[in-house]
Amino acid sequence: MTLPKTLPMLLSLGAVALVPALAPSPALAAGELVTLTVLSSTIVEGPEGKAEQGFADAFMAENPDVTIEFIGVPANELYAKTNTLAISGEMPDVFINSPEFMAQAHDLGIVADMEAVLGADYLAGFADGPLAQATVEGEYQFAPWFTIPNTLLYRRDVFEEAGIEPPTDWDEFRDVAKQLTVDIDGDGQTDRWGFAMVGSNNGSGAGRFFLVLRAHGAEELSADGDGWVTGFDAPGAVAAFQLYGDLVADGSVPPGPLQTSYGEAVSLIASDKAAMMITGPHTIGAVLDQNPDMAGKLAGALLPTLEGVTPQINLGMFGWAVSADSEHKELAARYIAFILNKDNQVAWNLATGRLPTRLDALADPRIARPELEGFIEAAEYGYQVPTARFYPDLFGVAGDNYQAVIIGQLSAEEAATDAAARTERLIDNNR
Amino acid sequence: MAREAGRRSPAAAARSRAGFAFVSPAMLVMLLLVAYPLAYGMYISLFRTNLLNRWDFVGLTFFVQSLSDPGFLRSLFITALYAILVVSGHLLVGVTLAVVLASAIRLQVLFRAILILPWLFPEVVVALIFRWIFDPIFGLLNHVLETIGLISTQVAWLDDPTWAFVAVVGAAVWKGYPLVMLLALAGLQSIPRDRYEAAALDGAGRFAQFRYVSLPGLAPILGVAVILEFVWWFKHFTIVWLMTKGGPVDATNVVSIDIYRTAFQSFDFGRASAMAVIVLFICIAFAIAYRWLVPDEQA
Repeated sequence: MTLPKTLPMLLSLGAVALVPALAPSPALAAGELVTLTVLSSTIVEGPEGKAEQGFADAFMAENPDVTIEFIGVPANELYAKTNTLAISGEMPDVFINSPEFMAQAHDLGIVADMEAVLGADYLAGFADGPLAQATVEGEYQFAPWFTIPNTLLYRRDVFEEAGIEPPTDWDEFRDVAKQLTVDIDGDGQTDRWGFAMVGSNNGSGAGRFFLVLRAHGAEELSADGDGWVTGFDAPGAVAAFQLYGDLVADGSVPPGPLQTSYGEAVSLIASDKAAMMITGPHTIGAVLDQNPDMAGKLAGALLPTLEGVTPQINLGMFGWAVSADSEHKELAARYIAFILNKDNQVAWNLATGRLPTRLDALADPRIARPELEGFIEAAEYGYQVPTARFYPDLFGVAGDNYQAVIIGQLSAEEAATDAAARTERLIDNNR
Repeated sequence: MAREAGRRSPAAAARSRAGFAFVSPAMLVMLLLVAYPLAYGMYISLFRTNLLNRWDFVGLTFFVQSLSDPGFLRSLFITALYAILVVSGHLLVGVTLAVVLASAIRLQVLFRAILILPWLFPEVVVALIFRWIFDPIFGLLNHVLETIGLISTQVAWLDDPTWAFVAVVGAAVWKGYPLVMLLALAGLQSIPRDRYEAAALDGAGRFAQFRYVSLPGLAPILGVAVILEFVWWFKHFTIVWLMTKGGPVDATNVVSIDIYRTAFQSFDFGRASAMAVIVLFICIAFAIAYRWLVPDEQA
């Protein structure tokens, strides 16, 4: 794998890249020392953290009066941490926001209008899809940083060895998962499973289940005039719950799926224990970070769907928001523009596999690498995450029910009915 | 006359003022760190609020809803069962080991040092160690059971509701038994030897001596330990959260996890505060029972 070796060079390129917003801030008096606090979940991940710290170091080298101070928090705890900081009046200047959380953040009144912070001209430099998903009530909530279109990651070498293609519908998926569950060393024990299911009851698990749900033609929540409706009790949802139960019952999933969150699933792929996973291109970087021997063995493909159902892909987008109370909005804008300049966007992509959001970076030929093709294709099917304030509550609603199906506590029909009833209560409580 | 009799002398008034002056720092600290958060929590429980820009008064609605919510009542039941099993485990393991350590065994000091180790580990470390032990693919338990031929396939212990509950109870028992062991050991060492000698002269064997001499001597200490431990483990969060996150489904969903989820995943702070206040009243009930069972001189 040669990509990590290129990282320092690319980061250096990013450090000297010029963007219009990088002109010295007139708001800062000469010699005034400023600390810009940044709440980030990627800073605690590998290889993302190293790359992100590299950007911050480069920015500080360019701006000796500025110190970037990170507050690191795991992605699954990000929203709780942001909320806690908001309540305690200690919001950082810059923080990661996402389509899943932005309605809640907007409701808390903690986000500055990014059009005012960055300017309309700058916003015009983003790809339409990501930018359209960054608004609540017409206000831009964050500057899209990257997308990780969540689709099917698979072991290209294992598929080629077995002489099969990535599955295109769920029956095929079930068969392929079973076929790829194998005893490699002949000791009577399974050594590699077909599908690394993220069955934990959290955002990682539920977010992936929502993709399976939508690939069955059902939506966990969708707009209905001024309100919301749930499709948890649609026939497609029952089929999605059933699929989760069947995959575990078939033995196509590594033992302990309910304890398997994103990190565990990545380890399963990295340690050659699983052949498929629903995830984004960033997982390639995470896997290679753990096991460089996997270089060239991973690829993406469009998620299977039921016949006649158009794929719906969660872009898995994260972006940078500026706190409404920040005293350094202009500096925050410069930092965001620095991170989002073309060279840093490309460097970030090469280091982590996360796709850029700026038009100039997306046009760079280094982005369309073979291992990312499937993910880039999937990005065309990105859907708008519902902007309901209670949307994060649906993670638990889904998680409780797919776990109940997996352990045989509920049938797929019962789980779908329960999920629908709980979601309708949430809709009623939040009218 | 009556007014003069009721009036305190200047010296007594000065002593009283000095008394208030001496206790006021501690009282202030208590008010700030204990009374204020409790009162604020109760205040929040009366509102539907995000604690920033929305404060809709709902009165006792969240209390009524919580007490009629089967999910919350189930989490209270799970918590009570969890606390009872953990405290029982602590008593069983702690007292047994205390009896062993109190007898004249070789390397007593070394064993005492080793047995107290779990108490020194942070709860986070204990939870992660036990999570690894129960891991279906890389875990120690499956490896040992496979090696001795007791299982033929990898078992996902924490994916099974019953085993997950047993696992979190086991981890909590392992973490917490040294406290009871030390208390019991101190209690055993304070029982006069002549009572055992008298019992032996009366023909009492080892078990009878434990039943009729040791246990009555330990009763006051164990009574205090049971009450304090029950309240402590009733509020417990760390080990269960890190091992199972309250799952699978809601099999280990103790009330502290329920409250955390309501507050920090649903951001429903009013409802979470109401649930916390209910738990507070349950703990107060145990505190009252403690004061009732244990006289001042033993407390």
